[in-house]
Amino acid sequence: MINRKRLRIANHDLPFQLALVAFGIVTFFPLALVVITSFKSNTQFYHNFWLPELPLHLGNYSSAFRIIWRYIVNSVLYSGSTICLIAIIASVAGYVFARFRFPFKTALFLGFITLIMVPGVLTLAPRFVLVRDLGLVNTPGALISVWVSGGLVLSTWLMRSYFESLPRELFDAAYVDGAAEWQVFIYVSVPLARPMIATVAMTTLISTWNDLIWPLVTITDKDKMPLAMGLMQFSSDFETDWGTLFAGYVISSIPLLCVFAVAMRQFISGLTSGSIKA
Amino acid sequence: MRVSKRDGHSPLLIRMWWAKWLYLALLVPVAMLLIFEWLPAFSALYNSLYIWNGGKVHFYVGLEHYERMLSDRTFRVAITNLVGFVFFRVIMQTVLPFFAAEMIINLRSARWSYWWKIIFVFPMVVPTILNYLIWRFIYNPQVGLLNEALTLIGLEQYTHAWLGDPLTVMWALAFVRFPWLPTLQFLIILGGLQTIPQEVHESAAIDGAGFWRRLFYIDIPMTKRQITLAMILTMLFMTQRFDLFLVMTDGGPGYSSMVPALQLYQSAFHFLEFGYASAIGVVLFVAMLALTIINLRVSAGAAND
Repeated sequence: MINRKRLRIANHDLPFQLALVAFGIVTFFPLALVVITSFKSNTQFYHNFWLPELPLHLGNYSSAFRIIWRYIVNSVLYSGSTICLIAIIASVAGYVFARFRFPFKTALFLGFITLIMVPGVLTLAPRFVLVRDLGLVNTPGALISVWVSGGLVLSTWLMRSYFESLPRELFDAAYVDGAAEWQVFIYVSVPLARPMIATVAMTTLISTWNDLIWPLVTITDKDKMPLAMGLMQFSSDFETDWGTLFAGYVISSIPLLCVFAVAMRQFISGLTSGSIKA
Repeated sequence: MRVSKRDGHSPLLIRMWWAKWLYLALLVPVAMLLIFEWLPAFSALYNSLYIWNGGKVHFYVGLEHYERMLSDRTFRVAITNLVGFVFFRVIMQTVLPFFAAEMIINLRSARWSYWWKIIFVFPMVVPTILNYLIWRFIYNPQVGLLNEALTLIGLEQYTHAWLGDPLTVMWALAFVRFPWLPTLQFLIILGGLQTIPQEVHESAAIDGAGFWRRLFYIDIPMTKRQITLAMILTMLFMTQRFDLFLVMTDGGPGYSSMVPALQLYQSAFHFLEFGYASAIGVVLFVAMLALTIINLRVSAGAAND
């Protein structure tokens, strides 16, 4: 009985499954070719473009890793500190905006959300001059300060909406028990807001990890480059060494792959909520 | 609202004094936004009226930069390129994800529709710039995937230096990432399609509506809002993002693949014309604002129907 039902479903789904499989193959084909080529020497690659070939040249991976690891570490540090700062600042600010009434609250909040309309391309050039005059060029500070302030716009808004959606009774219970405001925040609000903090963290991770332009104008030292910019450097350094080049591409996809595997749901929600500031 | 018990009747300054800790808590984010967001935004507006090399050379020229844009040939090419590019990408980035999402919601197996969603989101783990670098390899004139594939199926005469020819470069760029789904637009449209109640589809099936009728009379009209949102997002992304152009061609050959945002970048960072760059930024900002407002109007109108 169950089998027959399953069969009927499979039968109905067949044409759609086939279409999806075809679509999937075309999508993943270039990626598969990159992985295949990453195990080849240049001679193998020129000789046999399409198919995998023995022996596998694992040496490509070690020589690529020797260059790429530095960029990955840099990116982890830069994105990591940005995420921590945004998580802290945005939850405090979101909490204040959500739970209190005070003079100029609306004006201050408008000062946050109006910025959603201001595109990064408008501020690019003057912001560079500002950061240069502050002496931050070629330091991590140039990236982190601008990434944090850019990310705060959306994150504060998300945190505020989340805190507003929590039932008031939760907080009242804590006040009745004699908790101070900061205790309510740390022991009640933050634990409750964990899903939204995860979303904010993921949004920030994806946008900072992929930012190319801002590092390009502010960072000049090779050993300070974040991954996106480092990859550009790497691709011109290894222009015709295809195996090593593609091994580096594979290696540099691994960090986000791990995040995706561990926290798929937050990854997807982070993607979607990040869309609001285009 | 904890402070609410006391406010309302007291003078403003007193109420502000009561809220001193709240202001202190907001000090860091407000200061950061003022310095790194508001200040550059106003600086762009202001300096678009000046000749400015980013340093000491700084004098007022009024609207000269805006006049210069009208007669700047590079800028004209950039605008033409951008309009065509955005038009093409908006169609591609809406039709492709809609097609994939439609296939997925047609599946009766819930497990498979979940997995297909994951599979198509998966390419997001590849850093954005790698998309461009991989497509640069695909278009490579000597050992590119596209030329190799053409040779393989016997169409050798069509192999081409796709990015090196002013006639093909914009088309080649328009197809970058094809047919990878734009993840966001895909998730938005899929989300929309998934909110259509099962009963609607069932009763349509009972009434004898086939796949195509259902598509045009139920699925597209019922996801109008999500489709509009996906289109706006594509427009806004494509108008301001120029990393694709920077990585793939740097505007070349000549300036045949120039777009305004890339010209802004080059004006500022290659030619130190920060005033002109700011003026281009202001024009892009106004254009994007107008696009958003028009789109919101249109979609609000569509929602009221």
